[in-house]
Amino acid sequence: MIPALGHVAVLIGLGLSLYAVVAYVLAARGADRRLAESARQAVIGSFLAAFAGCVAMVISLLSHDFSVLYVAENNATTTPPFISAISLWAALEGSILFWTLLATGWAALVLHRLRDRHRALMPWAGATLATVNLFFFAVMTWPGNPFTLTSPVAAEGLGPNALLQNHPFMALHPPLLYLGYTGLAVPFAFGVAALVTRRLDEEWLRIVRRWTLIPWIFLTLGIVAGAWWSYEVLGWGGYWAWDPVENAALLPWLTATAFVHSSMVAERRGGLRIWTSALVIATFVLTLVGTFLTRSGVVASVHSFTQSAIGPWFLAAILVALGGALTLLVWRIPDLAGGGRPSALLSRESAFLFNNVLFLGLTFAVLFGTLLPLLVQATSGDTISVGAPWFNAVNAPIFLALLFLMGVGPALPWGAASWTTLRERFAAPVLVAGVVAVLALALGLRDVASLLTLALAALVATILGDEFLRGARARSRRRGEAAPTAAWRLATRNRRRYGGYTVHFGVLIMAVAVAISSGLSSDVTATVVPGEVVRIGAYELRLERLVVEPLRDDPRVIETRAELSVSGPQGGELATALRDYPNSAAAIATPAVRTTLGEDLYVTLLASDAGTGAVTLHLFVNPLVVWIWIGGAIIGIGSTFAIWPERRAVPVLAPQVRRAVEPKPTTPSVERA
Amino acid sequence: MTPKGLRWLLVPLLVVPLGWLLFTGFGRDPREVASPLIGKPAPDWKLTTLDGEALSSADLAGRPYVLNFWASWCIPACVDEHPVLASAHEGHGDELLIVGVLYQDAPADAETFLARYGDAGYPHVIDDGGRLAIEYGVTGPPETFFVDADGIVRDKQFGPLTDELMADRLGEILGAASR
Repeated sequence: MIPALGHVAVLIGLGLSLYAVVAYVLAARGADRRLAESARQAVIGSFLAAFAGCVAMVISLLSHDFSVLYVAENNATTTPPFISAISLWAALEGSILFWTLLATGWAALVLHRLRDRHRALMPWAGATLATVNLFFFAVMTWPGNPFTLTSPVAAEGLGPNALLQNHPFMALHPPLLYLGYTGLAVPFAFGVAALVTRRLDEEWLRIVRRWTLIPWIFLTLGIVAGAWWSYEVLGWGGYWAWDPVENAALLPWLTATAFVHSSMVAERRGGLRIWTSALVIATFVLTLVGTFLTRSGVVASVHSFTQSAIGPWFLAAILVALGGALTLLVWRIPDLAGGGRPSALLSRESAFLFNNVLFLGLTFAVLFGTLLPLLVQATSGDTISVGAPWFNAVNAPIFLALLFLMGVGPALPWGAASWTTLRERFAAPVLVAGVVAVLALALGLRDVASLLTLALAALVATILGDEFLRGARARSRRRGEAAPTAAWRLATRNRRRYGGYTVHFGVLIMAVAVAISSGLSSDVTATVVPGEVVRIGAYELRLERLVVEPLRDDPRVIETRAELSVSGPQGGELATALRDYPNSAAAIATPAVRTTLGEDLYVTLLASDAGTGAVTLHLFVNPLVVWIWIGGAIIGIGSTFAIWPERRAVPVLAPQVRRAVEPKPTTPSVERA
Repeated sequence: MTPKGLRWLLVPLLVVPLGWLLFTGFGRDPREVASPLIGKPAPDWKLTTLDGEALSSADLAGRPYVLNFWASWCIPACVDEHPVLASAHEGHGDELLIVGVLYQDAPADAETFLARYGDAGYPHVIDDGGRLAIEYGVTGPPETFFVDADGIVRDKQFGPLTDELMADRLGEILGAASR
């Protein structure tokens, strides 16, 4: 009964999405405006249908209804309720259902929020979003029906994906990532609407800036959460492996980040308009490519689900989206060309331009490395893999150049910079960077890339700090405010600017943590019997015992656990384990991670011998890793600060006061939202 | 074509290669690699069947045989190919032997699987410790190796068999027997 209702909900969603596409296109072509209104309601209805579908699936999972193939393959009677519920995104069909919920949710949200504005753009944006939704509902109706029934009904299911069960982060990482992926359809939709209607002025860019940043935040947090999960669960001591699917999440992030920067130039100076439109298209197409790579099993990865019939559908969608949007773009190039005011080499526009060139370089490098195995196999039949060393070697210089630009860009004025300005702004930061580099060298850091990262981070941090203090001091002097008040008001009156700086600061922290943790980490592999001791860094670990027993909350899972006592910093007990899940050929690691602000002690169990109690351990000491996650959190906070609706307190101020408080648009250092 | 018209080339120049590249990825599992065993003598083994009898590669000498690595937890692939193996076993009688090899699976679970999906009657050996799977370089079930009457590995199927694939691959080892 419940699965049947879920299937009906999918069919209703399909019908409503189809209606919304047709009604929006008719509305765009001048038909009755009430038609657009009904289309909007149809989109909201399709969201409710997707929601009903997800509820039906979660109920089926919670009640272990093995008549549904998806439940039989991803659930067992022993599965705890929490794991059952999040099994919604454990495998292919369920994750597409969840995906559709988020995609329709974004569409309903944006169409509702902007319902009485942008009359010309909205019907086309709505039609595009409804088309995307229609695609997902169609996938669930034909090749990837999540409510496929089985007969005879099994008495016991296979149990959930082992990796899903092993860490609570699986409840967080996929939803964040999916929220990012699905939300990036919104800027694409407005980009298409602007191209179709030839309303290529700042209007669509203003809408899209905010609606790109919101999914961008989710995508960023999703990527960081994925790296964290990989670090805590996979047991190899690292957090980023340039796995094809990690790359698939990174690619749209790179182009979306490039867009966030280039749209500032397009909005303020009218330049880079073809380029900015192309970025919106590329970002959306790359989210589809990412989904395709994840869901079709075309590339090998921890993420690939089984091969499925969904692949050809996604391929068709990618080609239609790319081909259609490119055709539109090429068609409108005459309208987009020109318009930009010429700018000097040393100006903020140029910094943005270089920034975009670098992001494009990164995108190409990552895309090339990801697709190269496919290309080689298609042409020569050989199987190759492109490993982390290649990605690191190619991308590190580009990342360093971006880091440099991050400091230089904000310090350069729009228009043209004079040498006097340059000297004044850069003298102190360059000095600080030099001092930091010398200090690091003296402390024994020899890796060139790490040294450069540290020096550049110091340079950028000094520039950003100087920039902020300068502004706060000027404000404090001008208005006679206390320093903290002046600083807070400066920031909240220029959210985009200082939110952006905060994001940059988070990136700096992350960059330093990545450089130091990869440059200065140490590891050791040792085989010990109970009572023996293994040493790494300042730590001394003694193997107490080897335990093999079923897991308490799921007896079908057998845990092989090495219990150790640690002396040294963070002394105490720790346990590292391998877990054998009935439906996974490989044992899943459960590394012990002792985190401090300075360094992590990370212990993985590689092998064990139940007879002698001997275990083989891989121990790592990874410095500063926790700062990668802290940096990620700062990026999230900074970007949320940047998009927070401005000046909520304004209505209570008298008109005269408000005028006085508003930043003067002509002040060069103040950016308008 | 005018220089302005040239920009239209951009569309096919991007769409066609990307489409071709992603399309070639279909129908092939990236974990599939050609087996270095093909054309070489099949590894020797001596194992116990689910029925508790001893079975070795020497017992199979002189006849073409199919070695099918499977597991009861490998669903749906092993379930899907199960009837294909059964019908090949029934269709070819004594000229062909099919041997199932349990890949990281408990004998009791395998028995349950056979009880549910039908036991065609060909033997299944217990690969204790996974030695045979390692010798054959099996990365995950189902994987199937086709050995001819001379004991040479002729082909390998990665992933589930279908009737067409089975007929195709059997041609290689049954043909060798009559040659």
